[in-house]
Amino acid sequence: MTGFTGPQTHPVPTIVPMGDSALLVRFGVTLDDAANRATIRLTRALDLNPLAGVLETVPSLVSVLLRYDPLVISGSMLAGELRLRLYGLQEIAVDPVTWQIDAVFDGPDLAEVAQAVGLSENAFIAAHNSTRLRVLATGFAPGFVYCGLHSKDLVVPRRKSMRPPVPVGSILFAAGQTAITATEMPTGWHVIGRTSFLNFDPMSERPTRMRAGDIVQFRVA
Amino acid sequence: MTATLKVMRAGPLVTIQDEGRFGMLRHGVSASGPMDAAAFAAAGRGGRGAIEITQAGIELRVDSGSCVVGFGGADFKVKTNGDKQVWPGSAKLNRGDTLAITPGKAGNYGYLRFDTDILIEPMMGSIATNTRARLGGLEGRALREGDVIALDKSGSAAAVPSASAPLSDNHIRVVWGLHAELFSPEIRAGMLQASFQISTKLDRMGVRLEDKGGVFTDATILSLVSDAIVPGDIQILGDGTPIVLMRDHQPTGGYPRIATIITADLDRFAQLRPGSSVAFTSVSVDHAQRILRSVQP
Repeated sequence: MTGFTGPQTHPVPTIVPMGDSALLVRFGVTLDDAANRATIRLTRALDLNPLAGVLETVPSLVSVLLRYDPLVISGSMLAGELRLRLYGLQEIAVDPVTWQIDAVFDGPDLAEVAQAVGLSENAFIAAHNSTRLRVLATGFAPGFVYCGLHSKDLVVPRRKSMRPPVPVGSILFAAGQTAITATEMPTGWHVIGRTSFLNFDPMSERPTRMRAGDIVQFRVA
Repeated sequence: MTATLKVMRAGPLVTIQDEGRFGMLRHGVSASGPMDAAAFAAAGRGGRGAIEITQAGIELRVDSGSCVVGFGGADFKVKTNGDKQVWPGSAKLNRGDTLAITPGKAGNYGYLRFDTDILIEPMMGSIATNTRARLGGLEGRALREGDVIALDKSGSAAAVPSASAPLSDNHIRVVWGLHAELFSPEIRAGMLQASFQISTKLDRMGVRLEDKGGVFTDATILSLVSDAIVPGDIQILGDGTPIVLMRDHQPTGGYPRIATIITADLDRFAQLRPGSSVAFTSVSVDHAQRILRSVQP
């Protein structure tokens, strides 16, 4: 893993095969801001100008999966094409959409989280909503989004135990991130609130509305 | 021709599938599609979609109209109106006819394909049932007694089944995976020398392996940042249990993945029954791709 050398460059990724029909371009092995930004830029670049033989591009927090047809292009050829694309990554415009998310902050873990960061509940909510967050990644579950990164003084670890399934629209908080659920799911994150914003419509051509790289601004409903 | 079929009996986890719902992984939806893609193709090129049956089989009755059904994949017993038929094969079914499929000697998944399309509104471009995301097919769930499946009238071609690959081979080839380097050389070598068993915990999302030799018992690796998953990934849980992720896999995962089953062997792996032993061999990506090119028509 090579670090980044300044604000105008991105981390040098490793390109790892995943089976015989996919490659993973990995900008990091832990969540970090520069690696996530590079992940989003590469995804945007490949969405705008796809590589021949690539069937699907899937961004995660710090890596991009490229599923390809090995009958059209070999893994080593594709890795070469990718390296060329990585040179121009800094010039790629992300063109984010800004989403205002109206939320009710009354989750069962709100008090515990506020206490953990040494704030009153209201002060925590104000601090939480004061920063514009970035959609770091989608894809963990249908419509699920990770947003971040919060400043260091708002970082709390995950819960020690899993909660049984929480409802659609739950606002989750842990590890310097806020997440919004779009399906029912069990979670080990803190539940701090809820929103009526729904980021998944299976009948739509593009079933999730938010894309990685978009801006999210939470507001008390 | 048009027809409606009534499910008189369905084994567990019988689902409607088509080729799969590709391109939706970034939206949090894995592709689904047949557990044995070659057997799905071999069950006949007729209308859209198939009923994917599991070991316990299914019984259908034609409530209206008529259709041609092709059946294939694994080894099952099949009767129409109580009369034995040859598996794989095909049959013309008219109103009132029954098709009964019961367990055979080998394999987990078989396919029923029809001369016309299964009439289900596609969701994100596919009618495949995704049992994890609970979408596609009939209400995103497995079929059950009393369900009615409608077939379209615009038939393209009759279902013509062909024999699928033999199922006896339990040697499965892998390429080393995303996190292979996090495992010691001893553990990697041990994985290729050991014999694992298919456990009874298997479904469309994943197949748990029994590691009686304890290859992964001490392979404790801390949780990792989540990356996307592909079918065939072998992930090692915190307690050392190996799981092969299958067609309805979770979209992303934070457990270490030591290897990925090659595309050419994944169908055959899916057909291994609980209790079967499985042995892994590692091959290069280039080798796996040469195999793929050689098996393509």
